[in-house]
Amino acid sequence: MSETVYSAEVPYRGTYRLQRLRFGRGAPHLAVVAGQHGNELTAVYAVNLLASALRAQAPHGTVDLVPLANTFGVDEGRKLGPFDDQDLNQSFPGRADGTAMERVAHALLEATQAEVCVDVHAGSPLMEELPQVRMPLEGPETELGRAMGLPLVWRRPTRSQDGVELVGAWRLRGARALRVTGGQGATLDKQVGLEIANGIRRLMAHMGMSAAPRPGQLLGDVSDEDVHVLRCEAGGMFVPEVTVGERVSPGYLLGRIVAPVGGATIEEIRATHAGVVMSLRRYPMAHAQELLLRIACL
Amino acid sequence: MLAPCAAAGYSGEVEESQTSICRVELPTHNDVDVVRRRFTGTSGPHVAVLAGIRGDTPEGVRVLYEVTRLLRGLSDLAGTVDIYPCANPLAAYAGVHRWPFFEVDLNRRFPGRADGHPPDRVAWELVQQVAPADVVIELRGADRAFREVLQAHVREGVPRALDLATRANVEVVWVRRPGTMEPTTFAAQFETVMVLEGGAGNRLSEGVASELATGVMNVLATLQVVPEEAVPVHWATLERPRVVTDDHVLEFQCDHGGVFLPAVQAGATIAAGDLLGTVVEPLGATEIARCCAPGAGRVLALREQPSVHTGSLLARLLIDP
Repeated sequence: MSETVYSAEVPYRGTYRLQRLRFGRGAPHLAVVAGQHGNELTAVYAVNLLASALRAQAPHGTVDLVPLANTFGVDEGRKLGPFDDQDLNQSFPGRADGTAMERVAHALLEATQAEVCVDVHAGSPLMEELPQVRMPLEGPETELGRAMGLPLVWRRPTRSQDGVELVGAWRLRGARALRVTGGQGATLDKQVGLEIANGIRRLMAHMGMSAAPRPGQLLGDVSDEDVHVLRCEAGGMFVPEVTVGERVSPGYLLGRIVAPVGGATIEEIRATHAGVVMSLRRYPMAHAQELLLRIACL
Repeated sequence: MLAPCAAAGYSGEVEESQTSICRVELPTHNDVDVVRRRFTGTSGPHVAVLAGIRGDTPEGVRVLYEVTRLLRGLSDLAGTVDIYPCANPLAAYAGVHRWPFFEVDLNRRFPGRADGHPPDRVAWELVQQVAPADVVIELRGADRAFREVLQAHVREGVPRALDLATRANVEVVWVRRPGTMEPTTFAAQFETVMVLEGGAGNRLSEGVASELATGVMNVLATLQVVPEEAVPVHWATLERPRVVTDDHVLEFQCDHGGVFLPAVQAGATIAAGDLLGTVVEPLGATEIARCCAPGAGRVLALREQPSVHTGSLLARLLIDP
């Protein structure tokens, strides 16, 4: 079930191994990847929850899981790595005879030859994200993304540089590909992990691969123009007054920027639109113009 | 543990083995071993040679690579030579000063703790393993911001270490009084210990490794652990170093913040008043200060990473008495 699809000798330490778990056989074929970034641990947890479910009940068709692509980054507790301080998710489509990281990217792309592919991430260590699926504005992915029943659907225009990321590389190959994220980097949120795992199980049910878990609760289905981004005018300490997933209305106090010395309020951050808090800054120190919140406008 | 293995191909009584003295279990179970390579012959002194306590000192790792290959060519060895080729393998892999993840300087964790986090456990185990040695040699590269001449550091009041260090093929032997951080360094844990360093921070410099490897082999020959013929260069051609104390070494600091542009090279002979470099303000293209030698002597170490603050070390100077 577990197989090493790529390995590389490295100095001073053990061999780097890219491992894939395969469940079932035949069509349809789903591939799920997590842990391209070594500090997005809720994503790794979610895919391992999915592995547990698949061990208990084999799918109709084939499911390939790569729960942790960047093992060396995990060992060092950081996003990048393992080779030359490069970002794996900026190294696609990769090359079999390329740089060390390009070879890993190439192997990961080759190991996930499925008709539907999901790349699972978490928020950065600075931000907490509502569990969400990100997908193109239109096309076959929109139906698949909505079938996941995650709290938020975010439709985004495709960009020319998307091909350097795994999701873009999958699409260029003709697969239907989705990006899922939720929670906060460098932490583990079990509830978010469970929501993401259940979302992928709903996607499997939609593909006829398994029975469906209970339905999810959709809080927002938005495109970029529906996402209101709030930044601070001044630098300081951000003290939030809301939580991720909370519904807000215009004028609602979302948080304050306070002086790090003395604690005086420098700026109040208030909602200008009705919606749901989809992203919230968790690392409190912020420069002027840094991202504090995203509101999914309803 | 790595399985001990007898090396093949030796015609004599020299046995080579490799052992993991400490296994660090990583979160992904991609474990890392701190390795000791042991050469054993007939009875004689026990020497431990270690490199790579910090990950930005590859020169020391290269020295021990060369020493290991020289030892492999021997058919006779009187004693035991323990080579610790890299004490901090994760930092060396990443090319960084500190132990990754924990972000600690391993050379400030000695003597370590048996029940501590992985860097502390490695420090503890290194001390336990190295303690039986009669002589300890630590290999470093240069400080990460500097280029330095080949030098040995020994502790004040240990004449045997001083005598051996003068055979280490270095230009300067610096007899040092304990500093404030000294008790937590690797070298401070042992009596007869020398630290060899030189070259440039976090990179390899031509000739440095071969010179220091020759020095290590000459120390082993002085101890009669290896025959004189094992030293790549005949001892008679090796220059005797200048022995200096803290009183001879001037830490030349910067009085202004800015960018330091050196005007001399490490190893240069200087006269009083010679220009060592200038501190400039790069955005306004103005000269802030001219840094001149306070006395005649030699540049022992020179800053190559140019961003400086008030109080930053610009150079270490050997000032003539």
